[in-house]
Amino acid sequence: MTSSNAAESTEAIIDVRGLKKRYSGSWFNRRTVDALRGVSLTASGGEVFGLLGPNGAGKTTLIKILLGVVKPSSGTAFVFGEPVGTSAARRRVGYLPESLRVDRHHTARSALRYYGRLSGMSPRQIAKRSDELLDLVGLAGRDRESVKRFSKGMYQRLGLAQALIHDPDLLVLDEPTDGLDPLGRNEVRKVIERLRDDGKTIFLNSHILQEVEVICTRVAILSKGEICGSGSIEELSSGSVNGRVTLDVMVDEETMNGEAAPAKFVKWLGLADSVDLEVTAIAGDGRSHRVSAMLDSQAKIDAAVDRLRQAGVSIISLEAQRETLEDTFMKLVSGSEAAN
Amino acid sequence: MRPYAAVIRDSFHAALTSRVLWIAFVAIWLLLAALSPIGYREDFTTRFRGNDFNNGTRMKAMLAQGLADPEQEGSATANLANAMPEELRQQLRRVAEGDDVLIQVRVLASALNDMLDEESWYDAEAWKSTLRFKELRELDELADEELDESTRRRRARLRIEAALPGVFVTRSARSVLLTYAGMDFPADLAIDKTQFGSLINQFVFPLIIDWLLGFILLFLGILVTSSIIPDMLQPGSLHLLLSKPISRTLLLLSKFLGGCAFVLLCVTQLVIGLYLVAGLRLDVWNLRLLWCIPVSVFLFSVFFSVSVLAGLRWRSPILAIGVTTIFGTICFITGILGELSDGFIRNPDEIRGVAIAGKNVFASTEGGGLKRFNEEDNAWLAIFKSNAINADRVLNPIPLGDDMVATAVVRAGRFNPFGAGPPDLLVLSEAYDWESEPSLRLPTATSRLFLGGDSVLSMNTSDLATASVQNVLQVAGETEPEEESKTEEADEGWLSKLNNMMGGATSGFSPVLPPRMAISKPRDVAFDPAGKWIIAISSGRLTRLEPSTENPSQRWTLRAERLLEGEVSKQATIAVSGNQVLVARSESPLMIFDAISFEPVGEPLDLSDSLIPDEAQPLGNGGRFALLTSDGRCRIIEPKGESATYEVSQTLSQKEIEALYFHATNNELLIAHHIDQIDFLDANDFSVKRTIRPSLAEWRLIDKYVLTPLRIIVPQTGELGEPISALISGKSAIVVNAPNGEDRVIRYNIARPLLSCTIFLLVMMAVGCTYFATRDF
Repeated sequence: MTSSNAAESTEAIIDVRGLKKRYSGSWFNRRTVDALRGVSLTASGGEVFGLLGPNGAGKTTLIKILLGVVKPSSGTAFVFGEPVGTSAARRRVGYLPESLRVDRHHTARSALRYYGRLSGMSPRQIAKRSDELLDLVGLAGRDRESVKRFSKGMYQRLGLAQALIHDPDLLVLDEPTDGLDPLGRNEVRKVIERLRDDGKTIFLNSHILQEVEVICTRVAILSKGEICGSGSIEELSSGSVNGRVTLDVMVDEETMNGEAAPAKFVKWLGLADSVDLEVTAIAGDGRSHRVSAMLDSQAKIDAAVDRLRQAGVSIISLEAQRETLEDTFMKLVSGSEAAN
Repeated sequence: MRPYAAVIRDSFHAALTSRVLWIAFVAIWLLLAALSPIGYREDFTTRFRGNDFNNGTRMKAMLAQGLADPEQEGSATANLANAMPEELRQQLRRVAEGDDVLIQVRVLASALNDMLDEESWYDAEAWKSTLRFKELRELDELADEELDESTRRRRARLRIEAALPGVFVTRSARSVLLTYAGMDFPADLAIDKTQFGSLINQFVFPLIIDWLLGFILLFLGILVTSSIIPDMLQPGSLHLLLSKPISRTLLLLSKFLGGCAFVLLCVTQLVIGLYLVAGLRLDVWNLRLLWCIPVSVFLFSVFFSVSVLAGLRWRSPILAIGVTTIFGTICFITGILGELSDGFIRNPDEIRGVAIAGKNVFASTEGGGLKRFNEEDNAWLAIFKSNAINADRVLNPIPLGDDMVATAVVRAGRFNPFGAGPPDLLVLSEAYDWESEPSLRLPTATSRLFLGGDSVLSMNTSDLATASVQNVLQVAGETEPEEESKTEEADEGWLSKLNNMMGGATSGFSPVLPPRMAISKPRDVAFDPAGKWIIAISSGRLTRLEPSTENPSQRWTLRAERLLEGEVSKQATIAVSGNQVLVARSESPLMIFDAISFEPVGEPLDLSDSLIPDEAQPLGNGGRFALLTSDGRCRIIEPKGESATYEVSQTLSQKEIEALYFHATNNELLIAHHIDQIDFLDANDFSVKRTIRPSLAEWRLIDKYVLTPLRIIVPQTGELGEPISALISGKSAIVVNAPNGEDRVIRYNIARPLLSCTIFLLVMMAVGCTYFATRDF
């Protein structure tokens, strides 16, 4: 737990209940699209909440509803206890759109001035805050340059600065590192981490699962307009240990007692048979082996370790392979798609 | 409101970084630079120009008479005729012999201009019998050595004008000469400084504004601003904007206002530049010109509202431009349809004059027609048909009794004061089912008829002539001739022909004006109800003429005269009620004079400078008047209580009034309005006693139920030029010289274009705001 997590409160900053959104067809194309089919989620203060999902899952619709850009067909959504779309709700939200578009006549500073005024700030507040933010996002020396000359990364950093200009309590970041090179991605990620450390509540929509895994404290996975999994990264991964354990062991000949290695390890590891067992010698001394076996619970691993030790087998290393967020994502999304 | 101010400010910021704006700026600066060397200088009005001639035919006839009539020998006219070039003199002699000789006005003008420098034709004795105005009298008192070249030429011109009364249009003493970079323009303007200002304000500025602002900048503005809304609707921009704590409606309105920034910046530069050029170079300082800025932006906003809605719907600048262009085309076509409707459906039926004979109501129309109202059918019955392309002109009828009216049809006179020749006075009587019976021959170019006592008075381009009603009826066969009042056979000799050409009295009509006197525009005549005298206003001069009691056919005597203050060329109308005469002149206060002494009665009454008096009518003999002004309203002028002070007591509720008529028998004021409707008002309390609301013919129904609503629904942007002219000039109307020779007050159509554009703009913005506020993006 970081120091900032101390500031985390249990207050629901975002509270979504049974949210549905149906897009009606046009005169010429009457096909309707159910973008959200009863989404419920909550994000608490100080959290970095990640929203995951494949393209067309309804992530952008959900964000638009939270911002008041799109009206829900049914269900409720509150931000800071205020119905979404109200000025009171939007006043405390900072938003970085997926592909920020700043009019070409602006400089970084004039853009911040403009967006600050849109947020109802006074010129003095804007001037003070602009200096801080330009410094924060690393645009301090280039604030008088026309945005026409900005790279994609500079645009994104400017976007972050404008999202923060009115010091919002909730940041909604839509693909903040999309289209950036690794260096730019790293810069933006660092800024988000600093904000997280400062206790801001961040609602992050990203395709980059590794990034979400690193930054987010909680995630929700959206597929076909429904939440198919939500919770902390650990919660999503726990109970989902994939069962394969790899051990590097050293066994002397006496211990083997002339039996074949696979047969011995079936017994020591408490396996029924040798179907899921792989044993390979890893050194020329004939004593060192890499054993890979299916042990699908911690209790079985513990029991196997006890038996190996009792048999006088030296355990050099043990690695229990767990599911990554990507594994969980793929599994949940595939399951959701199959169900639909 | 800080966020919305930021959006508007940002739009200005964006506009200022637009290359197109700077190209427009440079174009405006170049235009202003090209205009800035324009200047002017003033000099005496000396040279004669084609449009100085009010009556070229009269001049031809007068000069011919001067050459041929032995009685004219030694007269001023004869002196002038004899000083003409030999070739011209030969032509004039042929005119005197009765030949139809075409002498172009410019040839006559050229001959007169040559005479300005060489005054051998002048004979002080001969000119003593001419009617010399004050300016000439003063110049005549000065010795030749005291006069410079310009003043001497001016004196020569005035002498020529005095010798040929009724020939020339009243011109100011000083004319404006336009210069460019110190060089004189090829043609000087025969107008004075005040008229020059009016010309700039009522024609030049509106023309520039119409073309530069109403067309070029409008189109340029739409091109530049068409992308504002589609750009705003880009996801990376819109979602960010909508995530801010601002109202969508106000956001759109702010964007809309900001979109007007481009046009505002251009228009402001152009208008202020024109204001400064006109002020610094032409001494025409007209702050009203600045009204063009909001009006032009308003005009642009009408088109921009279409572009905004198209941009919202399709999110494409190209489609926004396309839809706006289609809209502009629809406006243009609707405007054309409206013009056609005005020209071919409404205007021909519009009432110009009203008369009542017994229970019969007659009206002359703009379309050269005369009609009588038939109560049974609730419709106007045409006696002479009104037609948009009618070449004839019908004079306003006058009642000759309970069952008779008189009028005249000037053949081919609608677009030419002289028409195809002198018209006959026509008598229409109920006994003959209102068939017209020709009566006395009227003087050439007769434009109005008056009735006073038992006399009919005719007015033409420069003369007045009178005939007795009895004589008129006798010739028309309505009454038996009396032995002693037999009409003389028309003298068909050469002198008579020349007299006809001059517009002089005919055999049946006796001349009224004293010798050498003419009445020239702006002018009006009012009859004493008893027919004892007439009062005329002509070129700022008020005169009262009385007939000879011994010999009615003798010319009348000038009994009183008063030179009025103010610009002589301004529109004027008069009316006589009892012993008071109301004088209403444009840009001057209303004056009441004693009809006998011409002494002012009471204080002058203020009438807004924006109003031009159109027609005055007496309301009985109690010193009360009704005045029709250029805003289409009728104002009542009457004594304040028992005192001798007058006041404009009220403005009647009727609008779009076209003509007034006082019916003394019933003590009613008839108000013709809204094309062919008439209200009969009690002349005391102005309560409506009766109305005429005729049933409409097919085309009028189409106009009322199709074209008129269409002109309200489709904004009449093309008509915004009229409110602009009104705003710049500060006038609600303009006085133009109609093709029939009379001055005509043309009312600016201010309300309809403003109303239709405002309604359209509000509707479009309401639709746009609702769409933007309720739609998911």
